[in-house]
Amino acid sequence: MANTPGAIPEQTTRTVVPKAPLLKRMRGQRQLMFMSLPIVAYILVFSYYPIWGWVMAFQNYSPAKSFTQQEWVGLKHFKFLLTDDAFLNVLRNTIAMSVINMVLGFATAIIFAILLNEIKHKLYKRTIQTISYLPHFLSWIIVTGIVASSLSVDGGIVNVVLMKLHIIQEPIMWLSVPEYFWGIVGASHVWKEVGWNAIIYLAAITSIDPSLYEAAEIDGANRYKKMLYVTLPGIKSIVIILLIMNMGWILEAGFEVQYLLGNGVVVDWSQTIDIFVLKYGLQIGNYSLATAAGIFKTVVSITLIFAANSISKRLGEDRLI
Amino acid sequence: MGGLKKKKLWGSVSLVLALSLALAGCSGDNEKATTPDGKEVLNISAFIGTPNQAPAKDNRIYKKIQDELGVNLEMEFLVGDLQQKLGVMIAGGDFPDLITADTKLVSAGAVIPLEDLIEEHAPNLKKHFGKDWNRMKDSSDGHIYWLPNYGVYTGEFISNYYSGPAFWIQKSVLKDAGYPTPKTLDEFTQLIRDYAAKNPTIDGQPTIGFTTLASDWRTFPLLNPPEHLTGHPNDGGVVVDENGVASVFADKDISKRYYKELNTLYNDGLLDKEAFVQNYDQYLAKISSGRVLSMFDQHWNFQAGEDPLVAQGKIGQTYVGFPLVYDTSITDHYLDRPVINLNNGFGISKDAEDPVALIKFLDKLMDEKYQKLLSWGEEGVDYQVNEEGRFYRTPEQRTEQEDPAWRLVNKAEGFYAAAPKLEGTFEDGNAIGAINQPEEFYDNLKPEDKELLDAYGFKTWSDFFSPAPENPVYYPAWQVDLKEGSDAAVANKQMTDTSLKFLPKAIMSKPDEFDNIWTEYVDAYKKINVKSYEDRINEQLKWRIENWSVK
Repeated sequence: MANTPGAIPEQTTRTVVPKAPLLKRMRGQRQLMFMSLPIVAYILVFSYYPIWGWVMAFQNYSPAKSFTQQEWVGLKHFKFLLTDDAFLNVLRNTIAMSVINMVLGFATAIIFAILLNEIKHKLYKRTIQTISYLPHFLSWIIVTGIVASSLSVDGGIVNVVLMKLHIIQEPIMWLSVPEYFWGIVGASHVWKEVGWNAIIYLAAITSIDPSLYEAAEIDGANRYKKMLYVTLPGIKSIVIILLIMNMGWILEAGFEVQYLLGNGVVVDWSQTIDIFVLKYGLQIGNYSLATAAGIFKTVVSITLIFAANSISKRLGEDRLI
Repeated sequence: MGGLKKKKLWGSVSLVLALSLALAGCSGDNEKATTPDGKEVLNISAFIGTPNQAPAKDNRIYKKIQDELGVNLEMEFLVGDLQQKLGVMIAGGDFPDLITADTKLVSAGAVIPLEDLIEEHAPNLKKHFGKDWNRMKDSSDGHIYWLPNYGVYTGEFISNYYSGPAFWIQKSVLKDAGYPTPKTLDEFTQLIRDYAAKNPTIDGQPTIGFTTLASDWRTFPLLNPPEHLTGHPNDGGVVVDENGVASVFADKDISKRYYKELNTLYNDGLLDKEAFVQNYDQYLAKISSGRVLSMFDQHWNFQAGEDPLVAQGKIGQTYVGFPLVYDTSITDHYLDRPVINLNNGFGISKDAEDPVALIKFLDKLMDEKYQKLLSWGEEGVDYQVNEEGRFYRTPEQRTEQEDPAWRLVNKAEGFYAAAPKLEGTFEDGNAIGAINQPEEFYDNLKPEDKELLDAYGFKTWSDFFSPAPENPVYYPAWQVDLKEGSDAAVANKQMTDTSLKFLPKAIMSKPDEFDNIWTEYVDAYKKINVKSYEDRINEQLKWRIENWSVK
């Protein structure tokens, strides 16, 4: 892909500037450096300083004691996590729901954006777009309320419709069947976010050169062919960048949805890392365990980002880092 | 060049000016308020661990407290999850003066010991808590950290209103069946079956025979019935035998019998299908719809669902509690003697600037004069006194008391509920609190309720229960502090998780699958370190028996 005809080799696009001594360059850019100071300070204080708290994971941390009085336990909490059946289950749920959300989220948003792009009636298009992204502004507590009541056996719309269509004989208790839980979470995510996620693709589509479409039309491409060979490749780089960025969030399957929709019956399929941390860490005052789980999550996320980035590099696509 | 310099100068001057203005704005409201006799008002910040509406700004009672005692209360009420809120407070290390009780705060070293303060500065509190002094000591270091809010009685103990655990059934079901007295679980379910068969819908919605709740920390409606059905008092997750040894019952046969009964109800379509997926709000909404015939719960837990029914005059759809047992040879032990509500109430945080002033303030409030103000209100405004010196309310005053908006302006409920308080009777023989004044309680009953109580020949709701025997010294076991992050605490969480996972599955299974799922449940239970939990409880019960016994 790197040698696509028409792509100009990278080096020639840059004018080579002879490197000035560091100090001189810094002086030359002092306004820029001055302006970036607050940001650097912000990141140091709020993103790097808290890393100090990670030492908690290697202690039996007690808030009543000072730092020197804490009891050091080494990797005990990590061992507990990685050998605990419940945590492994939780890890599986987190990854599974995250992947489902990501794949569904990407696929539906891209398809939705491409289809929406094909609508030529301006007002109609705008109305659809507005309706589709409105749920994004609802909080999860409201969305889960809507989800729970539409899945209710007691006159919930999903059961009513399925019954009227004679697809099912009697109402199904959707929220008490463990195997349905991932699907319900995925579907809720799609309902809430599809319109919002599509916005960036719609923007990318508008930047595609119209002459490409004209050329394709002259070559005899129909509507579907144009979508497939012009629109899709046109937004490919955006898709890849977003994918890499989202890789970092893969262990962030969420907390609210699962916490609010979950119940005792489906706990094996609904509990995510964040819920586990809340229940076994914060609620019973086990701060060290909570920190250990947090560190685990961070390390996996960073690894995933770098992996995705290097895969993308191998494929010759745009990279984030 | 000079011009540019000047501009820069003006820029910095105006920046400084703006900053100082902003800072002045922040400190502007620190103007000291004073009481009518010119003393400075002391601001006390308090965090209250229950969700509540903040009182109106010109609240009559808080105003009176400020004028007479020179204290202004700045209260923060709980929003969201308490454990989370406390976790954040501990992590931030910033505490209000008065803080709601939680064992977590002791472990975090956030509260100060109170015993010396009380001894020196608080004669009223000392007298109030005198006989419970040893009970209030923390078992790990012997200090007193909390001033419990409920459970210390003076004078006569009166209980007209029952708010504890019971099997609750709608009054209309009882009326329809000619006011029977169900004693066993079987008799109880038979009443439900009969009524549900006659009334498949209530107010246009399908009838729900029995519901339960297992959401968040409110798992007791599902998990506690077996101990009550076998005649044990409410000890939480354990039953305690006559030797004072506690054991977990959730996976034992006494539990199996109850859940098997629920399984039958489920398969007969009488158990709420959504019982195990509903959250607390949905549960309350369901109860307030008036179509739930019965449930096991504690009254205070579903009270909020019953209130709208009372407000709409649907008295027939409110509930009466019955103390059910497995068979009539068992004596019920639902009603218990009040015990001091340990690990509840207020503590004083290490950040409090003037703990002595705080304890003096709380002590003054324990004076009968202020207790009357907090519970009954102002004489002549909120209640009347007749020739015999008995307190009563006029019908208008009663109506006012039922209006939540009125209460926000005219009652100090948020603080009163969390603060240490007198209970029982005042020295003049009046009950503390209108609901406990027998004649006031009876005059306040709705006609339907009078009819029902008359039919049973009872005077109060507590009469449905066997009289409470003397409490064992250690009672109740559910108040044992498991210690943050301990093996016992982890085991407790795992036990609850396992029960919530398997019990609904077993209850919602086909009758012939029940036994298999029950076996699976028992096996899963065996994998948990239940012993660490039992050990911690037993160790604490033993400690209590040794240290609390009157010597």
